[in-house]
Amino acid sequence: MRRRKRAGWHRVINGINIATLVVVIFVAAPLYWLIASSFKTPSAMGAYPPQLFPNPISTANYHQAFVQYDFWIYFRNSLIVTLVATALVLIFGTLAGYALARTPMRGKFSTMVTLLMISLFPAIAVIAPLYTLLKDLGWLNSYQALIIPYTAFNLPFAIWILRNYMLGIPKEMEETGRIDGAGPLRTIWSIVLPMALPGVFTAGIFCFTACWTEFLMALTFNIANNYKTIPVGIATFGTAMEVPYGTIFAASVVAVVPIGILVFIFRKFVISGLTSGAVKG
Amino acid sequence: MSTISTPVEKAPATTRLVGRPDVNRKRMARLGWAFSAPALIIIAAVTIFPILYSVAMSLSNVTVTGSGISLNGFTWANYSLVLQNSTWHYALGFTVIYTFITVVVELILGTMIALVLERLAAGRGWMMALLLLPWSMITVINAELWGYIYEGTYGVATYLFGVQNILGTSTPAIIGLMIADIWKTTPFVAIIVLAGLVMLPGDIYEAAEVDGSSGWSTFWRITVPLLRPTLALAVLFRVLQAFGLFDLPFVLTSGGPGTSTTSLAILGYDAMFKNLAFGPGAAVAVTTALLVLLGCLISLRTFKVQVGKEGM
Amino acid sequence: MAPVSMEKVNKVYENGFHAVKDMDLDIRDGEFMVLVGPSGCGKTTALRMVAGLEDITSGILRIGGKEVNDETPKERDIAMVFQNYALYPHMTVRENIGFALKLRKTPKAELKAKVNEAAEILGLTDWLDRKPGQLSGGQRQRVAMGRAIVRQPSVFLMDEPLSNLDAKLRVQMRAEVARIQRHLGVSTIYVTHDQVEAMTMGDRVTVMRSGVLQQVDAPQHLYDNPDNIFVAAFIGSPAMNLYDATVGEGARSVKVGSQTIDLPDSVRIKRPALASYAGKEVVVGMRPEHLPAEADDAAGPKLVGDVDLVEALGSELVVHFTVDAHRVLAEGAVDKDEAAAVKSGEGVARVAAKTPVKAGDRLTFAVDTDQMKFFDTQTGLSIRT
Repeated sequence: MRRRKRAGWHRVINGINIATLVVVIFVAAPLYWLIASSFKTPSAMGAYPPQLFPNPISTANYHQAFVQYDFWIYFRNSLIVTLVATALVLIFGTLAGYALARTPMRGKFSTMVTLLMISLFPAIAVIAPLYTLLKDLGWLNSYQALIIPYTAFNLPFAIWILRNYMLGIPKEMEETGRIDGAGPLRTIWSIVLPMALPGVFTAGIFCFTACWTEFLMALTFNIANNYKTIPVGIATFGTAMEVPYGTIFAASVVAVVPIGILVFIFRKFVISGLTSGAVKG
Repeated sequence: MSTISTPVEKAPATTRLVGRPDVNRKRMARLGWAFSAPALIIIAAVTIFPILYSVAMSLSNVTVTGSGISLNGFTWANYSLVLQNSTWHYALGFTVIYTFITVVVELILGTMIALVLERLAAGRGWMMALLLLPWSMITVINAELWGYIYEGTYGVATYLFGVQNILGTSTPAIIGLMIADIWKTTPFVAIIVLAGLVMLPGDIYEAAEVDGSSGWSTFWRITVPLLRPTLALAVLFRVLQAFGLFDLPFVLTSGGPGTSTTSLAILGYDAMFKNLAFGPGAAVAVTTALLVLLGCLISLRTFKVQVGKEGM
Repeated sequence: MAPVSMEKVNKVYENGFHAVKDMDLDIRDGEFMVLVGPSGCGKTTALRMVAGLEDITSGILRIGGKEVNDETPKERDIAMVFQNYALYPHMTVRENIGFALKLRKTPKAELKAKVNEAAEILGLTDWLDRKPGQLSGGQRQRVAMGRAIVRQPSVFLMDEPLSNLDAKLRVQMRAEVARIQRHLGVSTIYVTHDQVEAMTMGDRVTVMRSGVLQQVDAPQHLYDNPDNIFVAAFIGSPAMNLYDATVGEGARSVKVGSQTIDLPDSVRIKRPALASYAGKEVVVGMRPEHLPAEADDAAGPKLVGDVDLVEALGSELVVHFTVDAHRVLAEGAVDKDEAAAVKSGEGVARVAAKTPVKAGDRLTFAVDTDQMKFFDTQTGLSIRT
């Protein structure tokens, strides 16, 4: 092996680090563009050649998004729908995951396979019937119009993840609980859940992301301004003639920040969820 | 040397059976169904029944009245309409080719990124966090962003590359769409591949080095085969998800120019909610779902060894 | 504190596997009963049926005289210690021990007192606020026991609780467990595959094999009077030497391979049935300690063997030898790997430490014929009365 003496900063510059830098630029450049553009003055948005750095820095876009366009309303709606759906998914998913992991039900395998197949269905296949149903129930333009479908579509994956985590818990834990006198719900709450917490976080963050970013159903069911979620709100800013990119980006930055922070905090769980999802199918 | 066994078989006596055998078992099974019920009911209500209704719609004459949709009579007309429709043919071809190209590119780029990151000593965690940002971004926002970048008059792509009117011409629009998708999804693939790489046992590589294998050869002969299960399932999910392509073309190009970026899902949506042609629209939706199912079954059979019945 | 009785208890699994066959067993109030046997013999299944973790296919289980087949584990008032301790990792030692009491809505003051008391008995008082992850193996084992004793149940059930400890700790804990049990006087059923544990801890020992109960007896009695070949071979270490042999005329001698061992009258008198085996094949068993070394020309029944290996333990010599006879293996008493390694005609003897012997020698062993065991080749049962 050649032995090279490398001085301090020479060590930093090598193939890997350059490649990493390229990757960082690849990922970060459009993100930078998004954030930087949101701080441009409205007129500077359409400047050509484009301003690479906003000058002057302006919060006009943000002002417009919140004051002129009802972004707060969209943000609130997304938050409500996402949080409630995620909570329901975690509750029902824990119960079902436990049932499929631990109880001697007949047809467990077929149930799991069916759930898996369902999770792969494109939303377009159910959108029309759901629309009709919601219309008949008078539930178009409401929170439940989105909460219920979101819960249904995110349950299979959550059940899968939670079940796998629970399978990994030694049976003796629950048996001891049984001997001590804990009923099934108590067992889940005091014994199983604390030990399956990573699975809960993983399922939770995936569900949150899916609900926060869902578009097709939100577009179809909740078109009234008061019930729009963020994706629909942003997509319908302005008219066909005039696309207010500034406002859109300001709103986008605000939309991206919470989920970005959450995903960053829970990144360990996202990654484990992605890989276990890929490896175990 | 001989082995002797003491007789083990004793005739089972007929004993009075006290209580019911399997009392516990049945109790637990019932509990299992009770616990699963809420989840299963919601899932069935939102997916299974609507899908069946979609199938019904696709096989009937659907009329839209003031108060809603009504199904009248059985007909194949919707399907024959769709299957002979040139826009549908285009949408099918477009969706398939789009999926193929984007997945292949994402796979290559993603693996390259993963290989680079694997060698990274410090900061790998931060890189992974960075990679998660595009994944977590709302697709609509992604579409708007790239729409701005591609903007004919003042987009930065127009500025940097001098390409005029990207979204106004078919082929550049398709490419632009793909780039936006690839940018958003490659990090996702990279993370999956990276996680798979990290799990590979190190001693195999040391053995290869001792045997004199070069970097490239090691990659093809060792890394790729070992990664195959991880890659295969990631690809599977990605492909099946791609059949539902909607958000990006809807916001970025509105399916245009013309119908050049109209995917199957957009076609279905337009048919049903723009043209109020629910019958044909349902036919499009159902065929798309069938394609997804078909793809799923084929892949499951191919990868049955890996998926298996683990833990069932 | 309650006696446990099993009457013709069977366990058949869904796939048809008959794990426990017609088991009859009575455990006396306050007794320490050990269930021992090779893996798969059904001892753990039997224990779990008593606990209520497995359904009983047929037969009657009684705790404290009451039929409990249909009762849940909680209703049976039993406590169980698992091999892996099954401590709740997210709870402190105090919370672990007190969990059962908390479920029963025991008032706080009483709960605290009971937990402290249990901790004191087990020497855990300083560790009450730690989590299991911070404890050593032995300490975790004690927490598991603490969880069991704090409930003051009618029966203790223990499933190989010491198997995960290292050898030295295991010996220590054996004494601890026995001491605590005696102190509390609770009927205990203890499952293990280690026959040394069984012998040292139990008031009585139940030997099981393939779901069938082989023999229930006090340890020494089990050792001295095995009912069949399996028990004879399973209990005792090093294992009993078993050979194919032919009984001589009038049962005055027995021929092992090419050697004839004379049997004094006392042997025949104690085992009258032996006479009917004259001229027939039997299996003869001699424990290693009943083959002391002897000078070639001494009188009395003897056995000559070619020495393969001598292990000096300091207190004695363990001599591995060969005779030209057929060694018998009791099926199930040794695992397949061990069985494959046994050579034909192999034997083990324990002789005095100063005996001048080395590998390659030919050594004469004095046979303690009073202690010889005879077994029927067909039934494997001991030939006694």
